[in-house]
Amino acid sequence: MLKYIAKRVVAAILTLWALVTIVFFLVRLLPGEPFTSAKLTAEVAANMNAYYGFDKPLWQQYLTYMGNLLQGNFGYSMKYTNKTVNYIIGQTFPYSANLGIRALVFAVSFGLVLGIIAARKRGTKIDFFCVIVAIVGTSVPDFIMGAVLQYFFGIKWGLLPIAKYEGFEYTILPSVALGFYTLASVSRIMRSSMLEVTSQDYIKTARSKGLSEMRITCKHQIRNAIMPVMTMMGPTVASVLTGTFVIESIFVIPGMGKYYVDSITNSDYSMVLGMTVFYGFFLVLCNLIVDILYGVADPRVRIGKR
Amino acid sequence: MAELSKEMFVIHGKDLKEMENISRPSLTFWQDAWRRFRKNKTAMLGLFIIALYALLAIFAPMVSPYKFSATDSSAMNALPSLQHLFGCDSVGRDQWTRVWMGARVSLSIGLVSALVNMCVGAVIGGLCGYYGGKLDMIVMRIVDILYGIPSLIITILVMMVLGKGVIALVVALCIVGWIGTCRFVRGEVYRLKEQDFVLAAKVMGVSDIVIILRHIIPNILGMLITNMCMAIPGAIFQEAFLSYIGVGIAAPNCSWGVLAKEGIQYLRIYPHEILIPALIICSTMLALNLLGDGLRDAVDPRLRGTE
Amino acid sequence: MKRRTLAILLAATMVIGLAGCSSSSSSSSDSTTAAADSSETSDSSGDTATADSTTEKVFRYSVSTEPTTLDPTKGNSIGDNEIQHAITEGLVRNTNGEINPGIAETWEISDDGLTYTFHLREDAYWSDGVQITAADFVYSWQRLMDPDTASPYAFIGEYIKNGLAVETGEMDPSELAVTAEDDYTLVVELENPTSYFLSLIGSSGQFAPLRQDIVEEYGTEFAATADKNVYSGPYKLVSSENNEYIFEPNEYYWDADSINLDRVELSVVENTDTALALYESGELDYVQIPNAYVANYEGEDNTFMNGNVDYLLINFESTNEALNNLNFRMALNYALNRTEYNTLANSGVYDGYTGLVFSGLTAKDSTYGEVYDLDSYSFPVDGDQEKALEYLEAAMEELGVSDASELSVDITCSDSESTKKQCEVIQDLLQTALGITVTIMQVTYSELYATTLPNGEYELGFTGWGADYDDPYSYLELFYGPSSYNNSFYHNDEYDALLESSVTETDTDARMDILNQCEQMIMADAAFIPLQRRTVHYLVDDDVTGLNFYFCSINIDWVYVDIVS
Repeated sequence: MLKYIAKRVVAAILTLWALVTIVFFLVRLLPGEPFTSAKLTAEVAANMNAYYGFDKPLWQQYLTYMGNLLQGNFGYSMKYTNKTVNYIIGQTFPYSANLGIRALVFAVSFGLVLGIIAARKRGTKIDFFCVIVAIVGTSVPDFIMGAVLQYFFGIKWGLLPIAKYEGFEYTILPSVALGFYTLASVSRIMRSSMLEVTSQDYIKTARSKGLSEMRITCKHQIRNAIMPVMTMMGPTVASVLTGTFVIESIFVIPGMGKYYVDSITNSDYSMVLGMTVFYGFFLVLCNLIVDILYGVADPRVRIGKR
Repeated sequence: MAELSKEMFVIHGKDLKEMENISRPSLTFWQDAWRRFRKNKTAMLGLFIIALYALLAIFAPMVSPYKFSATDSSAMNALPSLQHLFGCDSVGRDQWTRVWMGARVSLSIGLVSALVNMCVGAVIGGLCGYYGGKLDMIVMRIVDILYGIPSLIITILVMMVLGKGVIALVVALCIVGWIGTCRFVRGEVYRLKEQDFVLAAKVMGVSDIVIILRHIIPNILGMLITNMCMAIPGAIFQEAFLSYIGVGIAAPNCSWGVLAKEGIQYLRIYPHEILIPALIICSTMLALNLLGDGLRDAVDPRLRGTE
Repeated sequence: MKRRTLAILLAATMVIGLAGCSSSSSSSSDSTTAAADSSETSDSSGDTATADSTTEKVFRYSVSTEPTTLDPTKGNSIGDNEIQHAITEGLVRNTNGEINPGIAETWEISDDGLTYTFHLREDAYWSDGVQITAADFVYSWQRLMDPDTASPYAFIGEYIKNGLAVETGEMDPSELAVTAEDDYTLVVELENPTSYFLSLIGSSGQFAPLRQDIVEEYGTEFAATADKNVYSGPYKLVSSENNEYIFEPNEYYWDADSINLDRVELSVVENTDTALALYESGELDYVQIPNAYVANYEGEDNTFMNGNVDYLLINFESTNEALNNLNFRMALNYALNRTEYNTLANSGVYDGYTGLVFSGLTAKDSTYGEVYDLDSYSFPVDGDQEKALEYLEAAMEELGVSDASELSVDITCSDSESTKKQCEVIQDLLQTALGITVTIMQVTYSELYATTLPNGEYELGFTGWGADYDDPYSYLELFYGPSSYNNSFYHNDEYDALLESSVTETDTDARMDILNQCEQMIMADAAFIPLQRRTVHYLVDDDVTGLNFYFCSINIDWVYVDIVS
């Protein structure tokens, strides 16, 4: 097990390195340049390029960047000129992560419960209700979901704060809007996975052994049915925790989400790279955890055997 | 308990006629699936809605008296009426025409990219899950890297090469989109290959190809179809998100994402501009889900022959 | 019997298990609330203060774009500059176009308009109590022009003698013609007589004084956060965390008596609909109304013009020959009904505009729009279909085209929603009016200004301009041959010569006439397609007074705001 984890960690580091390298060169291909405005003169642009080292050959820039990265230094943002990427991430990540955890707790707990109930009561009204929830969740784009929730709960009925992040009640609408799609996906996958599992022999065995339905569901069905959900959760956790552009923009959450989009459309190279490395790190970590959990959750898949 | 005696049993003998009798017509896998699918009313409803929307997408803009890009300052934000079935948007363009023009874009993006993603993802995921080892390791690392590259960068770069449009969007969505299916199929195959029926087949010396085709694929087909029905909305959403941040298809063309984005700004004053596109999107998703469920049941090998 | 006991036991374990689950989940939610609480306590000083609103005067407003920097030298957007306008004090203070003494109590201008001598007040202090001297200005202005600083707005200092040479590294920053005669006398020499120089330095944060010791102490971290700077202006920045900028009065400010507010809270709200909703719920005192909603607030709203003029730039070096044809350019200009365009594309909020120079600029003790009658030398706002078709016919003949649909033009624009809508409307109107083919090409904002426009990779480009200083030259420079802003590659020797003559003309009225002739000249040449002049509609609480609006470098100026109950 330890050897397996060590191997995976090495692979993770290599993955991150490859990711940084690819993105380092990809961002240079993006249309546009980091320093742009309608009023930029050639002289100013030349000075700014020299300041950020863009006048040096690309491989040299790459080595400099990697050297800084090894020391954990993402460099200065090119748009927010006197803030470091580290500072911006440090400021915004706690908000995104805090909101993301709430959204995930909401999405996964409700999603699993809905999925399980729907599967157990297949064909009933409860099932129908769960399916409707899942469909609404997966069929409304998040910017509509966010705006509609904000309009009704915040503006029209005044039940919850409209926007900003100043306490628990402020996080309810954005977490719901953020988590709804995940909730719907989880419940849907859980439902079909449960149904899949229901007809397996070991369930029949368990049933013929006279185990209660409750115990069969909890001990045998859920444990086996949860695998596809876990596969899905790896990337979802990484992306939800690191913030989303749309929800943060609608609810004025000072999170990371907007920098993913803005840095790319502004060609803010160091910011794009910093965000990519940060997100990549999370992604690799989450996937690693999922793979290890596979071994824990599914008794048939023994990691050691590989 | 009463004792059993020989007298209680009668020797029936062979009835050759009865032996040869086929109790139900022999059906191929797909015939059987279609037969069961047809009986599923909700699934048929789903199919009907999708077919209806597809037909409207093809023909409605052709017969509409309005061009989808024609502005009209006298009909700005007009409510639905006989002239404009779905009303007009903020620059007086007929929403009925625009919704079905948008359907062309959104449905084709959704269907094509979901299909491509499913095929590519299933093949690669299946291979990884079944063979594991080095191949799996390498592909999974590539997947990790691809997932880590911001999809917006990929989309912008693809659009730079191919120009803004449906093709560029589909290509961009496919470059990353197959990963989800791949990971999912890999996990499933990983699980299935350890199961007894696969083991039994292996012991009997069945070749890998046959095992994959006969035993593994039919078992994951159901979930794969459910997955694909989720992938279509996923692709339509992705397109909507790109439209939201302004990287969607080229103006003045529209998609459902574009309509939703334009409409959401008027939620508080002209709700019909967002309500109608949202309802169309929702009903499409509903139909796709119903269809997916029906298909899943229809192709499930364990339900074969049941009513 | 045995089975039943098992079942009960199982049920019991289940319940315990569930209870265990729920308790653990509730504890986790407790911990997250605790985290939120702690974030609340961090700005609890603000909360307790609002509770005491009877005595506290707080002004809360929002902007839609995040300021890029708090370093006055490096500011490069209106948003950056609006903040600097409150936390820095230049030699003079430009309030709504009116030039008032700032750190400089008095000043003299030489007869040739080239030398400015400023006499600084002795009672001006930084927010840490240190005196403000002429050396602080010399240091700041040198830093602005120093290539090593790489200020994105360094060009604004090119008016100063040797400015350009320092910027390009040909001269040492110490050779910049700004000298401190003594602690309270600053002498500035200019390249050319620049009548708007005071107006410029009064509204541009780049000309604010800087403390060398502070800048050097923090190095690249200078002004990264509120505590890494000292302030010369009427307000000091207390916090810039999490997209909230909190300002409090600077007790060391020389004119602290004119400052009425106790605190200003600026929040960055990118989504304009959300900002409006926040205003409605009473969480903001001022908000700009998104165009779509303006009609709903008729009677309640106020307006100001932000000096932005939008137009379609014509690329004179494009491969599209039609654009080099005067009649075709005339046809485009006459075909466009700008009133109709504005109604459709901007919900009627802006004004259809046919000029290049913003009409609100100061000219001959009045405004440019008052002095010169735009309609007399430009295209009709409502277009003229007949004339347009006449021009088109002439153009088709000259170009050898028989069917108008064979004539095609591309419009390149950025990917923002409003721009897209505007271009879609232009496309439809032009196609309908002339029967030509118009295609829209969208690129990212960065691409538009980094490559598309400067490299001439477009035919018609949707863009706009807002002046940095109150003078038509700022707009007219866009069509000056050698100008680095000349993205349309328009070359007209007569125009260039005329514009150059305005630079050395010392009589301000005569100079203004020259500039107007320049504008008339490019209108006659249909060198671009003017579209609109922007008007901003806003809502403000009734008890807010003293809010000022300006059209160069800053839009909203809340320095003298008071809350009157």
